Amino acid sequence: MLTIRDVRKSFQENEVLKGVSIEVEKGDVVVILGPSGSGKTTLLRSINFLERADSGTLDWEDIHLDLKHASRKDVALIRKKTAFVFQNYNLFKNKTALENVMEGLTVARKVPKKEAEKIAKEALDKVGLSERYDYYPSQLSGGQQQRVGIARAVAVNPDIILFDEPTSALDPELVGEVLNVIKTLAKEGTTMIVVTHEIKFAQEVANKVVFMDGGFVVEEGSANEIFNHPKEERTQQFLRRILPDYDYAI
Amino acid sequence: MSFNGAVFLSNLIEILSCLGTTFLVMVASLFFSLLLATVTVMGNLGKNKIFRSIARGYITLMRCVPPIVLLFVVYYGAPHLVKGAFGVDINQLDAIYFAIFALSLLHGASISELMRGAYESVEKGQREAAVSIGLSSFQAFYRIIFPQALVTALPTLGNTIVGLLKDGALAYSIGVVDITGQASYLISMNLGGYVLETYLALALIYWILSLVVQKSFGFLETRLKKG
Repeated sequence: MLTIRDVRKSFQENEVLKGVSIEVEKGDVVVILGPSGSGKTTLLRSINFLERADSGTLDWEDIHLDLKHASRKDVALIRKKTAFVFQNYNLFKNKTALENVMEGLTVARKVPKKEAEKIAKEALDKVGLSERYDYYPSQLSGGQQQRVGIARAVAVNPDIILFDEPTSALDPELVGEVLNVIKTLAKEGTTMIVVTHEIKFAQEVANKVVFMDGGFVVEEGSANEIFNHPKEERTQQFLRRILPDYDYAI
Repeated sequence: MSFNGAVFLSNLIEILSCLGTTFLVMVASLFFSLLLATVTVMGNLGKNKIFRSIARGYITLMRCVPPIVLLFVVYYGAPHLVKGAFGVDINQLDAIYFAIFALSLLHGASISELMRGAYESVEKGQREAAVSIGLSSFQAFYRIIFPQALVTALPTLGNTIVGLLKDGALAYSIGVVDITGQASYLISMNLGGYVLETYLALALIYWILSLVVQKSFGFLETRLKKG
């Protein structure tokens, strides 16, 4: 469905992505793993044009784009087909939970207000926030804010949801509620790319795992392949470090 | 010499008759300085290096000149400039226009700086979230960023308007008859008598006006603040 090829991106002298390619099929839950600074987040942001890649191509059904030179119209098109869930939630602080979710519908997609409200309420109900429609972000816990963030992404019915370390900013006891929502979405067949450090979660929901390091994709494969039979030394090291009791079969 | 309450009251009323001019100077200067500030902050935050230098140069110039000096420079300099550039004689123009022009120049710079601060106080992620759900840059600005920046800017903007009100008093020095102009006129009519009564009445008006401005901005802030 979506193919990204040979993405490169530098920040000043620092080359963060050194030619990365990934493929996503409909219904895929792609988990991107890797140490900090490996380029995972930059890759995700490049797909949604929150970062402008220095080179690379994007193919999505009949859309074929050069990531560096994509026009404003193409960018808008891709953004309407995707939704982004941020590490720091980034809820609109001047809007209630319900308004946050409605914004992309009424303003960007011209959905009539009544209908948008219905869709937004369904999305909030789905993430377990039916009691919080009229709360402002500052009145919600981190976990609740992130669930609104997910509802905001789900409501616009995107083809792919991009999750950028959705639980990294949360207190440990709030991680579970957010991961459960994402798991539910995964089970329903939502296509998603998830950058995360939650290995247990990755093992549970990913049908495809991409391991990145130093701006490259080191290894990719099914969850079983990567977690149980990693081929690359670098992947093994990484898994050993984050899973202390890790014991893989060769 | 003792304080004359009757003169205080009658002068207070006489001074109040010129309140309209004070308001006109304040409101007109506020309007034009907001316009100027908007253009300046766009130049300052924009990508074009030339516009940025112009914006920053203007801000620095305005910061480093006493208001009364700027007023005199405008009052005596602008007619020469306009005559040289367009061949139009504006020497006969009412002093109030020069006062409004000078105050707008002065406060346009400071308001542009407070706008910049307010804009930069809104996290980058707010804009990113807005465009990621399909809003255009412009929609992201006026629906998400501007309302948040406005709330941040309001208290400082209130202070700036009080500053504008007070700097407006300088306009009397080029002959504008606002409340300060009227007060000094009353004193000269009394051949230098009842100075304290007159200036105290004037100060009382400024105190009340400043208080009203500050309270209304405080009220606006609580009304607009969400969450």
